[in-house]
Amino acid sequence: MEKNYDIKLAVSLYSYQDNYYFKRYDLEGCIAAAAGSGAEGFEVFADNMMPEWPYVSDEFADRFFGLQERYGIKAVCLDHFSDRAMWKNRQLTDDEMFERGVMYLKLAKKLGIPIVKLLHQEHIARVPISGYNLTTYEIIERMLPIAADMGLMMALEVHTADGVGADYQQKYIELAEKTGLHNVGLMADFSTFSYCMTTADIVDHCSRGAQREILEFLRSKQREAYFAGEPFEYESIREAVEKMSPNEATQSAINFAVRHGRGKPSFAQLYKELKEYASRMVYVHGKFYDIDENGQVDDMDYPKIFECLKEGGYKGYVASEFEGNRRMNMVGWVDEIEYVRKHQALMRSLL
Amino acid sequence: MYDSHILTEHDCRSMWEHGKKYGYCVNLTINYYRGLPLSCVEEIALEVDGEAVKPEDMVLRTRGKEFPYTEILKDDFPTDFYWIFGDYLRVIVLKDGGIEQGRHHVKLTLKTRRSYTPTMVGVCEKDLTFA
Repeated sequence: MEKNYDIKLAVSLYSYQDNYYFKRYDLEGCIAAAAGSGAEGFEVFADNMMPEWPYVSDEFADRFFGLQERYGIKAVCLDHFSDRAMWKNRQLTDDEMFERGVMYLKLAKKLGIPIVKLLHQEHIARVPISGYNLTTYEIIERMLPIAADMGLMMALEVHTADGVGADYQQKYIELAEKTGLHNVGLMADFSTFSYCMTTADIVDHCSRGAQREILEFLRSKQREAYFAGEPFEYESIREAVEKMSPNEATQSAINFAVRHGRGKPSFAQLYKELKEYASRMVYVHGKFYDIDENGQVDDMDYPKIFECLKEGGYKGYVASEFEGNRRMNMVGWVDEIEYVRKHQALMRSLL
Repeated sequence: MYDSHILTEHDCRSMWEHGKKYGYCVNLTINYYRGLPLSCVEEIALEVDGEAVKPEDMVLRTRGKEFPYTEILKDDFPTDFYWIFGDYLRVIVLKDGGIEQGRHHVKLTLKTRRSYTPTMVGVCEKDLTFA
């Protein structure tokens, strides 16, 4: 049977942030690492690896094209941010936010990067957790014809617990359909499919004084529920946890995990929606925090996720986005390059 | 984020002009996964040997530019001077005579505003050797 999907792999250079921050690798080194992992593409933030941002010179652009040629890898996505809270006492107006959005589009055009990951209002939840507006629907509506003129795709990253099928994300798909400008679309982030506390979070919480035994107990119960195909109910283990006398740090870790799970659709529904939306998605973040001894992502069901993407006919990039660094680097060096290498190998085996 | 690393051991020393010490400096790295405009710095508070440094005595230097700390807190401060990810932000404390060479205890509180998470507060305290 002819396959109706076409999945390519990329690496977000965000995955190598500690190597950059601590000056072990520069932009070229990070691009070399991505190419060395076998990826065909990479994603980059101007805000962290292009020191000239927001005024990127022709010389930088020339070098950027040269690096892609040297390492045989393509820049596929540039990240946009919605820095609304520019000042202590005043936020950017919608007009100013629009102007900043266009700055990112112009940079992508200049650097020949086809996709701009755009931080939209409903990025993390129905309502932004920051308490201030991000890039709203109205701003995106204004940016759309500009992105269309430039031949760019604005990918709205859905980093929420309820995924791309949530009612409040649909207006963006409708916007593209209504205008006929297919330069905006949704992108999934695998964090939606996290079914248990990751071991990276356990390392993080324990470095702040949480009790490992209790968090591992929680994690094992969450995993049991997931593999039994049942929703995890904290109430079912509350008494057992309380008997273990959780300290404040442990309780706060548990509260965070439980809060995140509240109101989450069932995994069956999330997978069904991922499959339904796959052919319309424009980019995907292969989020991960840790990899277990079997080479699997320790809190997400990658085989199942890839099955949905393939059966749903996804055509585009899945980018490794490693986020275990910032959870585990309080207790020592996190070998980002090795994590990404393993992650790419895992994803390649699932294609 | 990066809380234990934001106060660096890089180039801590007195600042000199014409053979005289007019202050001293520490060098910070950002508490975030990307660079931010300096206008997004909510607060930099320093305590040296238990004594709070006055905001009006601090000057920031990065990428060849220098700004009085109190300037970057103003609402009309430009948004295009970035504190680059991984770069040092030099905080110069104006003090006649500089700082005595040797070990000093420094406490830094760094608050930055980000676009989609609440203001993050990084606190880092360590003994540093000043040259």
